[in-house]
Amino acid sequence: MLLVVVTRQESTPLLSSSQRRILVKLSRRSFLGTSAALSAASIAGSLAGGAWAASDTVAIASLHDLSGPLDIYGVPSNLCMKVAVEEINAAGGLLGKKVELKVYDGQSDINKYPQYAQKAALNDRVVMVQGALSGAAREATRPVLRKYKIPFIYGSFYEGGLCEKNTFCVNTGGNQQVVPLLEWSFRNLGKKLYYIASDYNAPRNFGIWNHVMAKREGGQVLADDYYPLDVTDFTAAIAKIQTAKPDVVHSCLVGGPAMSFYRQWAAAGMLKKIPIISIVFAAGNEHEVLAPEETDGVIVAYNYFQELDTPKNKEFLAKVEAVAGKNHPYINGEVFGGYSGVMLWAEAVKLAGSFEREAVLAALESGIRWEGPAGVMTTDGPTHNTTQDVHIIKVENRVWSLIEKKEQIPPDTYGGKCNVFTNPNQTDFLMPQI
Amino acid sequence: MDSFVILCFAVVNSIALLALISLGLAVIFGMMRVINFAHGEFIMLGGYATVIANHAGVNLWLSMLVVAPIFVALIGAVTERLIVRRLYGHLITTMLATWGLSLFLIGAVTAIFGNTTMGVSAPLGNIPIGAYSIGAYQLFLIGITALLVVSSLLALHWTKYGLIARAAMQNSEMAATLGINCDRVYAATFIVGAAISGLAGALLAPISGVLPHMGAAYVARAFVTVISGGGALITGFLSAATILGPVEALLSYFATPVIGQASLLLLAVIILRLFPTGVSSLWTGGR
Repeated sequence: MLLVVVTRQESTPLLSSSQRRILVKLSRRSFLGTSAALSAASIAGSLAGGAWAASDTVAIASLHDLSGPLDIYGVPSNLCMKVAVEEINAAGGLLGKKVELKVYDGQSDINKYPQYAQKAALNDRVVMVQGALSGAAREATRPVLRKYKIPFIYGSFYEGGLCEKNTFCVNTGGNQQVVPLLEWSFRNLGKKLYYIASDYNAPRNFGIWNHVMAKREGGQVLADDYYPLDVTDFTAAIAKIQTAKPDVVHSCLVGGPAMSFYRQWAAAGMLKKIPIISIVFAAGNEHEVLAPEETDGVIVAYNYFQELDTPKNKEFLAKVEAVAGKNHPYINGEVFGGYSGVMLWAEAVKLAGSFEREAVLAALESGIRWEGPAGVMTTDGPTHNTTQDVHIIKVENRVWSLIEKKEQIPPDTYGGKCNVFTNPNQTDFLMPQI
Repeated sequence: MDSFVILCFAVVNSIALLALISLGLAVIFGMMRVINFAHGEFIMLGGYATVIANHAGVNLWLSMLVVAPIFVALIGAVTERLIVRRLYGHLITTMLATWGLSLFLIGAVTAIFGNTTMGVSAPLGNIPIGAYSIGAYQLFLIGITALLVVSSLLALHWTKYGLIARAAMQNSEMAATLGINCDRVYAATFIVGAAISGLAGALLAPISGVLPHMGAAYVARAFVTVISGGGALITGFLSAATILGPVEALLSYFATPVIGQASLLLLAVIILRLFPTGVSSLWTGGR
């Protein structure tokens, strides 16, 4: 996930690709150098099968921030995983076994992620781990699970371009949100776009997508304004936007202080003058925290939103209510991955007839089709991402309504570079090209 | 012309915000040489007091202008009595103690209200300027900051209390021999400083929203402003705000916000290199 919340010890949310490459290399080298670690891993690999074979339960792990600044995303994502597990067990479990959910609290602390991932792999002998929502948590978790050969399901929407054998991304990647949203807004709101975003890796990656789309749709990006994560005064920013006279403002501002922008934007009377589009707004339920007069009319794109009017979604919400009560947190597109991830994995297990990593991954790669509350989702083999519907929605008085549904958007292949079949050892991020 | 007006507005707004978040610290640090690391959290508490009172049905203006400063003044009184009083004169120890206090306050507020942003909408609507518009509340913010600064200046230089306070700060032994109860003066000054910080937080709540760790966004700039200002309490930090604010606002406007923020800090370094005791040494003769 590309969201961060500003804390006193603000860390770099995402590593640059070169930093990441160095880290990966370092860990690979120290890994190979340590025979003890190597044998522990191979024992773990061989034991993982044995753990569930003899038992009548099988464990999967939920690795989310259930406390700390990021709990606003972690708690409902964990809830969604719980709902999925209960649904699977109510239907008789998987391959005759009950699914057990091991819950870990990452405490919004990156250091906890590799520790807990390792514990889940070695102690709990889980057959799948899902979570690690923030980009930083994901990068800390991925190598550990790769090492212990435990499939990792990543449930956040993110900037896209993650293509790795051991990881499956079940939420939208960058192109699946940005492309439909910008296509729609260039056609319906106007050609001149002003980009204002928080200053770290993911919003900058989305910033490249703006230019890609502007070129494709004959639009124009008037500015790329990146703000540090501790800025609370947006007066100069708003003045700058007013002088630039855009048709639409694309906001990728995140975190608490960034809410200042929406406040000051509305206070300056701009909300009714220039529409705001966003791919991150409301992932932390900003539409419930801010007043309606500060958010009315904001347009976003997500695969899922709670007001979606389908029978499948009504069923799903009833299950959520049964687990968490009537006052459950709002289920947004960000946290919905907790549900769809487990359900897609379960479909793969059924198809494979096994919990073994190779068999499950092969099943996922074969293109699992699952119809859920957000419509049909299909796993995509070469990219390890998913094809899915994306909804362009607008908020009015804290309620989202559908503007347009874009059906079955495939993940971007980054010019064919994202392909785990031809390039099974790739672990790096791919960037969009203009 | 219109764009020039809103640019001027952004500049004045930037100065006013720096002044507003620094005034409480100027009183506490500038006068008492107490490094109050919990300054940002006093601002945060002011914000929370406003939002909670307002949600409980208290009129917004009453919550901002009365409830918040009184509440934070009470916190300030307790802090002074329990922690700061024992540490006067020990710069580093006070710094550590108030840093601990700031972590405690963040933790306590998080435990009580959770980590979500709370807030109230900005009142007063907006004012159109040609093709542009600005928030009327921000004009109010500039006005009330000016009022606060001027009245602090007057209180320090033209009232008996101000004279006593300045005497106690400058030479407490001499003041004590003249029959001034310095303990009480210190306590009062700390409480006034806390109340002003609380008021600042209250006034910021409608434009920024409140959350437990919001203080971090303010404390560094407040220190930079007060330290660059130097010895002369009010005029010092005000002149620092007047130099730093426009640089930040204009560079954010014409270049990027990152450059704006960086140049604020860079400029503060240059100021302190040229005037090691702050810009106000220009007219106070390097006190």
